[in-house]
Amino acid sequence: MSGDPSAKLKARAGRWAFAVVPLVGVVELLSFLVQTRPAASDADWATAREYVATHARSDDLVAFAPRWIDPVGRERFGSALATLEREARPDETRFARALEVSIRGAHLPAFKDWPREGEQRFGGVTVTTWDNPEPARVLTDLVSLVNPQQMRVSRGGAECNFVRGNPQSGGLGFGPAIPGDRFVCGGGGFVGMSVVADLSYLPHRCIYAPPVGGAPTRIQFQGVHFGTRLHGHHALYVEAERDRRGAPVTLTFRAGGTTLASLEHRDGDGWKGFELDTSPLAGTTGELVAEVTGEGERRMYCFEADTR
Amino acid sequence: MKRPWLSLPDRIGWRDHGIGAAMAAFYVTWLLAGARSLGFPRDEGVYFRAGSSYFRWYRLVWDHGREAFARGPIDAAFGDNHEHPALMKTLFGASEYFLHDRWHVFDDASTAYRLPGMAMAGLAVWVTYLFGARAFNRRAGAIAAALLSLMPRVFFNSHLACFDVPIAAMWILCLYTYWRSAEERSIGWFIAAGVTYGLMLETKHNAWLFPAVVVPHALFVWGRALAKARAALWRKIPWGLLSMAVLGPGVFLLLWPYLWFDTEARVRWYAAFHLNHEYYNIEFLGRNYFGPPSPPLYLPVMILATVPSITMLLFFVGTTDRLRHAYGRVAAWVRDALHRTGAAAPESDPRETDLLLFLGFCVAVGPFILPRTPIFGATKHWLTAYPVLAIVAGRGFDLIATSMDRAIQTLRSGVRRAARVGLVACVLAAPAAVTAHSHPFGLSAYVPFVGGTQGGADLGLNRQFWGFTTQTAAKRFLNDQTPPRSTVFILDTTWDAWNRMQEEHRVRADLRVVGAPGDAMYSLVQHELHMSEVDYDIWIADGSDAPAYVMTHDDVPIVSIYRRQ
Repeated sequence: MSGDPSAKLKARAGRWAFAVVPLVGVVELLSFLVQTRPAASDADWATAREYVATHARSDDLVAFAPRWIDPVGRERFGSALATLEREARPDETRFARALEVSIRGAHLPAFKDWPREGEQRFGGVTVTTWDNPEPARVLTDLVSLVNPQQMRVSRGGAECNFVRGNPQSGGLGFGPAIPGDRFVCGGGGFVGMSVVADLSYLPHRCIYAPPVGGAPTRIQFQGVHFGTRLHGHHALYVEAERDRRGAPVTLTFRAGGTTLASLEHRDGDGWKGFELDTSPLAGTTGELVAEVTGEGERRMYCFEADTR
Repeated sequence: MKRPWLSLPDRIGWRDHGIGAAMAAFYVTWLLAGARSLGFPRDEGVYFRAGSSYFRWYRLVWDHGREAFARGPIDAAFGDNHEHPALMKTLFGASEYFLHDRWHVFDDASTAYRLPGMAMAGLAVWVTYLFGARAFNRRAGAIAAALLSLMPRVFFNSHLACFDVPIAAMWILCLYTYWRSAEERSIGWFIAAGVTYGLMLETKHNAWLFPAVVVPHALFVWGRALAKARAALWRKIPWGLLSMAVLGPGVFLLLWPYLWFDTEARVRWYAAFHLNHEYYNIEFLGRNYFGPPSPPLYLPVMILATVPSITMLLFFVGTTDRLRHAYGRVAAWVRDALHRTGAAAPESDPRETDLLLFLGFCVAVGPFILPRTPIFGATKHWLTAYPVLAIVAGRGFDLIATSMDRAIQTLRSGVRRAARVGLVACVLAAPAAVTAHSHPFGLSAYVPFVGGTQGGADLGLNRQFWGFTTQTAAKRFLNDQTPPRSTVFILDTTWDAWNRMQEEHRVRADLRVVGAPGDAMYSLVQHELHMSEVDYDIWIADGSDAPAYVMTHDDVPIVSIYRRQ
């Protein structure tokens, strides 16, 4: 019907429907032009760095968002701000606040439940300060005790000597770098601080203690301040556990004459967290013993823990 | 009446070869212009070496005649990289010998090695134009060829002395010669179909899938006719298909001397190698896949994320049109079968072009939907589907242009002309911009629809492989910022590739490669998910987690370079 307005409208819409195609072409071109503009200038990064250097406290986390911008963040901020402790953190619970440096309005999922304390924009770079609603007070971080003054290592009753040397590293498949400063055991074992790539390829600073079979590797931490909990994680290097073919690795903690727990890490568990009750020891300072046991090849095992 | 300044006869003919050749020449010239700025992926180094070795044998034949045909010289020449046929590598070697060593046409040996691959890209563009023009019209063909050349992944792979673009070119050429043989039914086209298939088999193993395209097509087209027409059977036989079956393997064997000895065992080994191919890892949606089952969404997501969206929209328009046409035919056939109505079915094409294009596309992508098929090559393994995709998109464009012409028919001719030019510009501008901008980071580039390179990083899509970006990192940092005789750990870049980059003065000649970050003054990490483990090792080896330089593309890190503290 020529007089039917809806039919007229339909006919007109049909007649001009082709315009969707050039429109999509133009939208694609405009999107391209927007997306390829640099998100932030050198000056933006520099002023953001200055702000973070001034405002970040030692117990604050400094993190970069989105996750893939992390290498640029480390380059621009340097290792004094983007420290190994922050970059290769076990989790976010120990940090009182987080200064999240981001581009393109990105945020890390870890902070989604943290209240926002403030936000500063430096051109294309935004620094958001997040408050940890339940920050843990770390009393002793076991990873920071990896030195001959605060740690002893033995295997099968034989002492493992602390050596200072060059770190060993390689290409793909090498496993975590073998640190220069490490305890070397007879028969091939060693213990030292390294960074493990977990199943998600995230970095974690940890005590690299690959079991070599037979007797457990015994690590004695001295002068540990106990709280109510022993909080930690353990994992194998991604290439060693992703095929799920290896034997489990067991980590046993002992303190105050009792066994706190025996924890098993099975291939595929990834960066697996644990929390042990140490209430009976709370307020005391003493020795904490960790024993690592495992059989088989490429058990590139790493753990971290702290008392809180 | 005023004649247009350029008019072509309706019939597609030699002038169209001129158009196709011109588009191909333009594309090859564009590729050549970017050859020096693109580093060497891992595989290329192997193919350079094998190419020279293969062509050396042909020179041996020239110099020593029959002696060269003994098993010793043949195995010595063709034993290298015998998991892939010899045709392209031989062409790479020949090109390097003539265009670099003897006639000095190219300063860089690598550009000479790469030229045959680029020429094959040009061939793909040329044939895509011809096929589109013949199947639909010139407008569809021209836009199809342009859209094919303006796909960032096609553009990237077209630069390389590899087999992925050559097999895509052979796939569309083979479809075309088979299709033409069905139409022309001349001895020339039958032989062309057979020889082309042989050359395709000699290009890459995707060719073994091709029977799954032509056999069902031939059965559909000729099956019923063959069953009925006993008297004039020879007229109905699909000679093109038979020629492929006979001449194809012959050409395959003839051009691959390695198969002349111990033939059965070597063919078996070749088949087994590809049927049981090792799984290399690839990142998809933030997860690294090391083996089967491959994610079923990999192929569709990667196509949508890497083929410009306007091309995909036109492909959708073209596909809808062809499906509607097919539906009309099927519906008419069903109605006729049920009610004997004798109702007229939509015009049918005796060559069944739609079916051929459908099979040509589906067979090219089909294996990559199967859970056991390795996906490590990302999009490069199904480039064979893209010329068909482009032709259907060309058809889509033609429909849109026709629709626009109808809508603006009352406007002045000058306005109508401007609108047509504008439509072409709207369709090609974004693919052209995205493609040009992607170089030399073609594997990092994703289309604006998913957020570009940053969107790819957000989604956790693979950013690169093969370590070819080291050259750009050297140009931007290593060549200028490092002390003399510095040691460098190059991670994913092969030593072959590095040596060639130094020979061709792309990387400073005094820089020395070492095998571990701990031995290096400078360590490189080409950012892929699984390379992170080396990144972290460098933190320990170098005593710092801060790179000295991060090379980015659209803000996304591509290569980090660490300086030892």
